[in-house]
Amino acid sequence: MNEKISSVLKQVEKPGRYSGGEYGAVIKDKSQVKARFAFAFPDTYEIGMSNLGMRILYGVLNQDPNIWCERVFCPWVDMQEKMRQLDIPLWAHESGDPVRDFDILGFTLGYEMCYTNVLRMLMLAGIPLRAADRSDADPIVIGGGACAYNPEPVADFFDCFSIGEGEDNLVEFTNLYIRMKEEGRYSRAAFLHEAAATIQGIYVPALYEVSYHEDGTISSIQKKHDDIPDRVQKCIMQDMDQAYYPDQLVMPYIEAVHDRIMLEVYRGCIRGCRFCQAGMIYRPVREKTPELLNKQARCLYDNSGYEEISLMSLSISDYTQLEPLTRSLLEWTDRNMVSLSLPSLRVDSFNKELMERIASVRTSSLTFAPEAGTQRLRDVINKNVTEEDLLHAANVAFAGGKTNVKLYFMSGLPTETLEDLEGIATLAKSVVHAYYQNPDRPKGRSPQVTISVSCFIPKPFTPFQWEAQDTMEMLKEKQEYLGSKVTDRKVRYTHHNAKVSRIEAVLARGNRKLCAALELAAKEGFQFDAWDEFFDYDKWISVFERTGVDPAFFANRAFGLDEILPWDIIDCGVTKEFFKREREKAYAAATTPNCREQCSGCGANRLGGLRTPCPSCHKGEK
Amino acid sequence: MKDNEKRFTLPMLESPRTMRIKFRKVGNLQYISHLDLQRTFNRVLVRAGLPLWYTKGFNPHIKMVFGMPLPVGSESECEMLDVRVEREMSDEEMLQRLNAELTDELRALEIYPAQRKFSEIAFAEYDYTIHTQGVDATLVDAIASAFVTRPLTVTRRTKSGEKEVDLLDFVHRIAVSFADGDICIHAILAAGEGNYLNPELLITALKQRFGILSGDPTKEHYRILRRRVLLADGETEFR
Ligand code: B12
Ligand code: SF4
Repeated sequence: MNEKISSVLKQVEKPGRYSGGEYGAVIKDKSQVKARFAFAFPDTYEIGMSNLGMRILYGVLNQDPNIWCERVFCPWVDMQEKMRQLDIPLWAHESGDPVRDFDILGFTLGYEMCYTNVLRMLMLAGIPLRAADRSDADPIVIGGGACAYNPEPVADFFDCFSIGEGEDNLVEFTNLYIRMKEEGRYSRAAFLHEAAATIQGIYVPALYEVSYHEDGTISSIQKKHDDIPDRVQKCIMQDMDQAYYPDQLVMPYIEAVHDRIMLEVYRGCIRGCRFCQAGMIYRPVREKTPELLNKQARCLYDNSGYEEISLMSLSISDYTQLEPLTRSLLEWTDRNMVSLSLPSLRVDSFNKELMERIASVRTSSLTFAPEAGTQRLRDVINKNVTEEDLLHAANVAFAGGKTNVKLYFMSGLPTETLEDLEGIATLAKSVVHAYYQNPDRPKGRSPQVTISVSCFIPKPFTPFQWEAQDTMEMLKEKQEYLGSKVTDRKVRYTHHNAKVSRIEAVLARGNRKLCAALELAAKEGFQFDAWDEFFDYDKWISVFERTGVDPAFFANRAFGLDEILPWDIIDCGVTKEFFKREREKAYAAATTPNCREQCSGCGANRLGGLRTPCPSCHKGEK
Repeated sequence: MKDNEKRFTLPMLESPRTMRIKFRKVGNLQYISHLDLQRTFNRVLVRAGLPLWYTKGFNPHIKMVFGMPLPVGSESECEMLDVRVEREMSDEEMLQRLNAELTDELRALEIYPAQRKFSEIAFAEYDYTIHTQGVDATLVDAIASAFVTRPLTVTRRTKSGEKEVDLLDFVHRIAVSFADGDICIHAILAAGEGNYLNPELLITALKQRFGILSGDPTKEHYRILRRRVLLADGETEFR
């Protein structure tokens, strides 16, 4: 590590965030590699080390002997202060070398509220904020992850984005860089152009011209060269069994938020909840085989020593091979005192066997997400669960010794009425009631039902992408109304900050005009906006005002169905026609069957994929 | 491929045996807190495939007892950790397995069946290296005489508030020297259960008395290295 950095470690909070030297970290001889890649997570070390995407891409890049990939995190404010005092530029975790000396700097963009940290990190690194101001000596800055599906609000700060799954695509990208350098034909512009023209999923914003109508909506998105795609299609791994998965983890010394083995069981989701972006952008569903998963889990256990394995996916009970998988895992996990956890359980799938198998006896609580308070509204959002399902699941939990149930809801959903809100309180009450009716409940203890209510945020690439978000006043009124309806003392009510949700909506559906606002925000010191203690709504509004951005235009306006959307430049596989159909069905409170019951023709099967429910999805088969 | 399942094939011991691991914690690892070290060792022990004994009942876990606290920011060549094993595996194999899972900055030096109790620890031996501006023989002499002239008061923060103590009450033996422009202090300090001196406090005392180490951290810094753990006679090494 760099001496200047170690010299201040005695003076900062949580020095373990910076000290490095973790078991499993990859150290290479920098004179022996051809490209140095800095993979940045725009939040603290503890959060970044929980990110599976980073672990995968770190591993896959480092498999290549020509590439050395290191991690970069956003230093906490006390460390930033020391960096300013001692003139230490943002560094890479493994070598301590300045990030600005790297060849490529990749950011994973998982959450819109981290955008200000991205800019802050560029400033700390001493890299020009705007791609247009960078020279051939600066690193190429590439972004990826869920938020890259609408990259427009940060388009000016990135040289390019990689849309979709990065396992193959990022290696190809880096190798093109190496090749062009070796052949002596590298220039920033030439490289970006060639990447856009030859690598699937690479979007170079500077190569597309966006024009606007007078009302601020987009009139056209024009490519500047013939050899680049009109729309950038995401890339996916065809066969999840062949996709790279790390067998060695970097072991953080300080506790990460998710400090356990994350076993990714499958990608995508068969459900199609109409508000959920993740459920759409990871389509089509592609499963891994239980045999491979068992091997991966065992290998990760042996190489990490973690005593907990989390079976990760968007909805674990939809995995067709869950039975054989848990059976083969339990053959060795029990003996080794390893516990399994299954987050993302659906209520309709929760039964006694599953509960016994996961035996997550360590906690006394269980979490379910009915999302809406009435059957009507659950049909609108296509959350195909009933009150009966929920009560059944709660009863199984109670009989199994649980006393605490946490229920997630959303308020501000399209078509929502006061009745739907009241339904949330009623539903929670029924769960409390069910507890007392249950003869097998834990004796002598009282239940606690927590309802956690977030605000609906319309997200790109969902059937609700056109919807207007409720105004802040409405959201707050609704929160208060619901509060007044929660009268049961066994029900605890918490809700998200509506102010954050509004800014999130602006950033999620924004276009390139937001770049100016973000730049000003960064220059005025915005950072860690995902943290309550830093987020300042009034400052955001002030920044928008001074850069001519009307937040209501992006958050509270219903986008026109024929309007060119900022993210139309991206093809996520699922078609706009499908989203429109789904939107109509939502307004008719009609549900759509899940992909396993029946294909609804979303279009994602065009991308191929193996072990998928999609019909005629054979692109990946040899 | 690892053979972490091997432990299940080993003969069971009659009762769990407490093994003592002596380990080094230096360099970047000095910044890892006690709690984090515990978590880390739990994983290291599991990865190493030692025949660990688990507590019975609701939430089975392994039992770990650390010898004495080491403050964040101090290094050590003699940390101690007791763990219980339930099957027969040779000390050499355990040591080798452990070290395959560790890095140079966190290294197992020895593993053996524990005999003495941690409560028998009375002293620890430390080496301090202080790099500070304007060191000269006069300063070194002044420090040396401060170490032999009572009281050397220092404000110590405890749970019940701030307290003034005489640092010399905790000093068994101490020597100051001047080498390569650095102040070097060799000290044997109280490290018993009821009578423990945080080695950092010696630095605090010098800061308070002489105003050193207050400038640019890239130019002024110090290192604390715990060398040995000793019994009540102040000489015999604790094992
Ligand atoms: C693990 C996890 C966390 C962890 C780790 C943080 C993280 N962002 O990973 C923790 C607990 C900290 C967390 C926190 C939060 N999370 Co979270 N989390 C997840 C979870 C369960 C898994 C994510 C994952 O690892 N996916 C698998 C990996 C392989 O996919 P991936 O990350 O997309 O990476 C691939 C590609 O995107 C691409 N890629 C990614 N980065 C890059 C970068 C480059 C350069 C390139 C080329 C490619 C590339 O390549 C990767 C490999 O194919 C998902 C739900 C789910 N099951 O997916 C929710 C999820 C991502 N979280 C979500 C939310 C809302 C949050 C929070 C905001 C919650 C809160 N209110 O505080 C915070 C935000 C914190 C933050 N700063 O990011 C939402 C996101 C919704 C959205 N953005 O629209 C999700 C989808 C859950 C949900 N359905 O609501 N989360
Ligand atoms: S193509 Fe059909 S089955 Fe496949 S994801 Fe789309 S709707 Fe579901």
